[in-house]
Amino acid sequence: MILAIETSCDDTCAAVVTRTGEIRSNVVSSQGVHSRFGGVVPEWASRHHLELVNPVVDQAMEGVDWEEIELVAVTQGPGLVGALLVGVATAKGLAAARRLPLAAVNHLQGHVAANFLGGFEPPFVCLVASGGHTFLARVEDHVGYETLGQTLDDAAGEAFDKGARLLGLGYPGGPALSKLAASGDSTAFKFPIAAKVAGLDFSFAGLKTALLYKVRDLGEAETERLKADLAASYEHAIVEALMLRVERALEAEHEPRLAIGGGVAANRLLRERAQSLGVPVHVPPHALCTDNAAMIASAARHVEPTPYPHYLALDAYATKRAA
Amino acid sequence: MTGAIVGIDTATRATAVAVLVPGGREVERRDDPAPHESPRHAQVLQPLLEQALEQAAVTWDDVATICVGVGPGGFTGLRLGISTARALAQGHDLPVVGVSTLEALGRGVELATPKELDLPGAPEIAGPVLAVLDARRGEVFAAIYRHHRVTMEPSVFTPADLAERVAARREWGRSPMLGVGDGAVRFRSELERSGVAVPSDSSRAHRVSALMVARLGRAREPVDRDALLPDYLREPDAVPPKP
Ligand SMILES: [Zn+2]
Repeated sequence: MILAIETSCDDTCAAVVTRTGEIRSNVVSSQGVHSRFGGVVPEWASRHHLELVNPVVDQAMEGVDWEEIELVAVTQGPGLVGALLVGVATAKGLAAARRLPLAAVNHLQGHVAANFLGGFEPPFVCLVASGGHTFLARVEDHVGYETLGQTLDDAAGEAFDKGARLLGLGYPGGPALSKLAASGDSTAFKFPIAAKVAGLDFSFAGLKTALLYKVRDLGEAETERLKADLAASYEHAIVEALMLRVERALEAEHEPRLAIGGGVAANRLLRERAQSLGVPVHVPPHALCTDNAAMIASAARHVEPTPYPHYLALDAYATKRAA
Repeated sequence: MTGAIVGIDTATRATAVAVLVPGGREVERRDDPAPHESPRHAQVLQPLLEQALEQAAVTWDDVATICVGVGPGGFTGLRLGISTARALAQGHDLPVVGVSTLEALGRGVELATPKELDLPGAPEIAGPVLAVLDARRGEVFAAIYRHHRVTMEPSVFTPADLAERVAARREWGRSPMLGVGDGAVRFRSELERSGVAVPSDSSRAHRVSALMVARLGRAREPVDRDALLPDYLREPDAVPPKP
């Protein structure tokens, strides 16, 4: 069995997953302290990880004997480096204490590997969209992927949250925006979908600015009256911007299949739009779409583990490295 | 052989570990980055720890307690040391003890010879010790220790404030107050103007000793593992991200 730890952003996560991909536990402790700041404050996130990481590991290990653990896995990056370091130090300490091998996992590969837990096997095209990342990948095996496109500025989840804030829906406002959008007219306003961005890359900065100007033009009262229409049109633009690239990517596939991960995968409109493509679509359960350690364990099943003591000098990394 | 004590401190730019074997060896291993280098806590802490254990000729089975410096100091370094200590405690089922980094620094002068203190006239180390750590952003963490007791609680100061406070305490004794730590080195001129004797920059007295962390921790009660947290002494800058 694999014990995995994930602390790349603001969720403290630990999971126990078997070699065959059966999830024994998947614990996520959301910090919920960042809403008053309107975003994740790295220093607060790191402080909370330190408070939570050992109890979260204990909780994931409930009913599991340490003797059954044969591998410790951890997210090495990318993410908030101070947050990652808490997880990496903890994983190294636990692995060293038990003389176990350690698998260092790339967080983004974890999102891709979440699909393997549901038995969705390569090859497929994978869209990962969350508050922290948005990218499109071609997955041919279990160990890596080819990046087809990525966001040039904001992540899709960030675009949702920023839009929600402009409409006075609080933080994180993505789900609130979608809820409001359900009662609005998505054709009422025409927001940009970054059609001019070449290839399969994404861009959401222009969309956010367009909403900002629209809200200013309308004024407070009109914005309030048309809030649902604004939300619906804005959501529609995000989903179209994502699906436009997905469609292009699938066109190049011999046998097109699609997987969607990241927190934005919970979006109803995105799911409906994906289902209408006429290709097999896999969306993992919500708990495996948002940041979690089970997906890190899933990826670790296919990583060459580093035997004790060769990982003792392992460090975290903040930004994506060339594989 | 049982009852070995492990000491760790990562509150400063240095990474320091120690193994104290009762009635036996005392080993300290450390990594002190040069001024232009970045701290290497994550890369060196656990390898140094393994080396220290080997040098002390003990294994983890012989270790009775893990003692760790809880700051104040650099936030990321502190978390690295404490999360490592906590994970090792969790994995080995060992108790953990937190020790003030400022206290270990202040008491650390006991480990230095008069020559290592490198002060004109090699004075006796009988007076109060001012432990000062660079807190960056133009501030320091500081406390005063005398005869194994804290006489000024750890707090954050500007160097000017600290110098003023210290000057007001000069009537305390005949021997000068000894100023140690990277903060004392950095703000040497301010402190010296207030009558504080600061050993030369390269003196061992300015480094936090993990051996002192182990010595101090050894005499103290273990704490609940999950309650072992840094003494940050300062709130983070909570700047909300821009919309
Ligand atoms: Zn993620």
